[in-house]
Amino acid sequence: MTPLTDEQIDHIVADLYAHGIRLEGLRDNLLDHICILVEEKLEAGGDFERVYATVIPTFYRRELYELEEEALFLESLRGPHLVLSRGWFFVLAFALVLAPWLAFFAQWFFFERPVINIPYALDAIGWAVALDVYPLLTVIILFLTPNRFDPLIPWGSKILLGLKPLIRVLSQPAII
Amino acid sequence: MVYSTELLKGTLKTIVLKLLADNKKMYGYEITQRVKELTQDKIQITEGALYPTLHSLEADGLVTTETEYIGKRVRKYYSLSVAGKTRAKEKVSELASFVQTMTLLLDLKPKAI
Repeated sequence: MTPLTDEQIDHIVADLYAHGIRLEGLRDNLLDHICILVEEKLEAGGDFERVYATVIPTFYRRELYELEEEALFLESLRGPHLVLSRGWFFVLAFALVLAPWLAFFAQWFFFERPVINIPYALDAIGWAVALDVYPLLTVIILFLTPNRFDPLIPWGSKILLGLKPLIRVLSQPAII
Repeated sequence: MVYSTELLKGTLKTIVLKLLADNKKMYGYEITQRVKELTQDKIQITEGALYPTLHSLEADGLVTTETEYIGKRVRKYYSLSVAGKTRAKEKVSELASFVQTMTLLLDLKPKAI
């Protein structure tokens, strides 16, 4: 197969740009694809200009830049940036929320006395347990609704994770 | 019979992710040809659908790219990221379940292509 010349490639790049393809990655992809198709057709005979003119309309319905519009539209639909894998989220949640209390109560249970002896310890424990309800609810919801969430947890969702499914449940009829 | 665009639209990401999961790294033209070959021309992915989808997968961090220079032009190879591998499994599983449900719903008997 005869590869296209540098001038022919420059011509295609300029044409793509003229047709509104500004995203470099998309332009590289289209250029490569067009080059392959043009080279295949040139192998069967014909001149570059004519072959190129028949290949390029097969890439779009109305205008070539609709590909770029579609790419940008799909990009705009993507969710928030994801930072933690679900596995690490559970490890962290367990380490920060559950593990200290499990360790505390295990020691208290086995030695029949609190590990720490500080004033207002029971009040502190009470508040801590109360404040743990929401993170625990989050963890439980994650376990019970695995398909609702991406395997990676978005930053913003960490806080709202426990509340959002409840709002959905309360605001929708139970049976459709 | 070539399937309609409406039928294929919701499955394109799954198709691309699955192909990348099976083939390590692929470039755009290769993906279109592989789909044609595997489906005996029944599914033809258009460039107008494929490249925006690849762009979106890259923006989502589900695929990574590496480039190869072929003379003056650049060929972009796509491969799955760690998150992409997980997503590929989820999407395939979701689509398989959907097909099963549709089979039940439409009272169809599964048969070979």
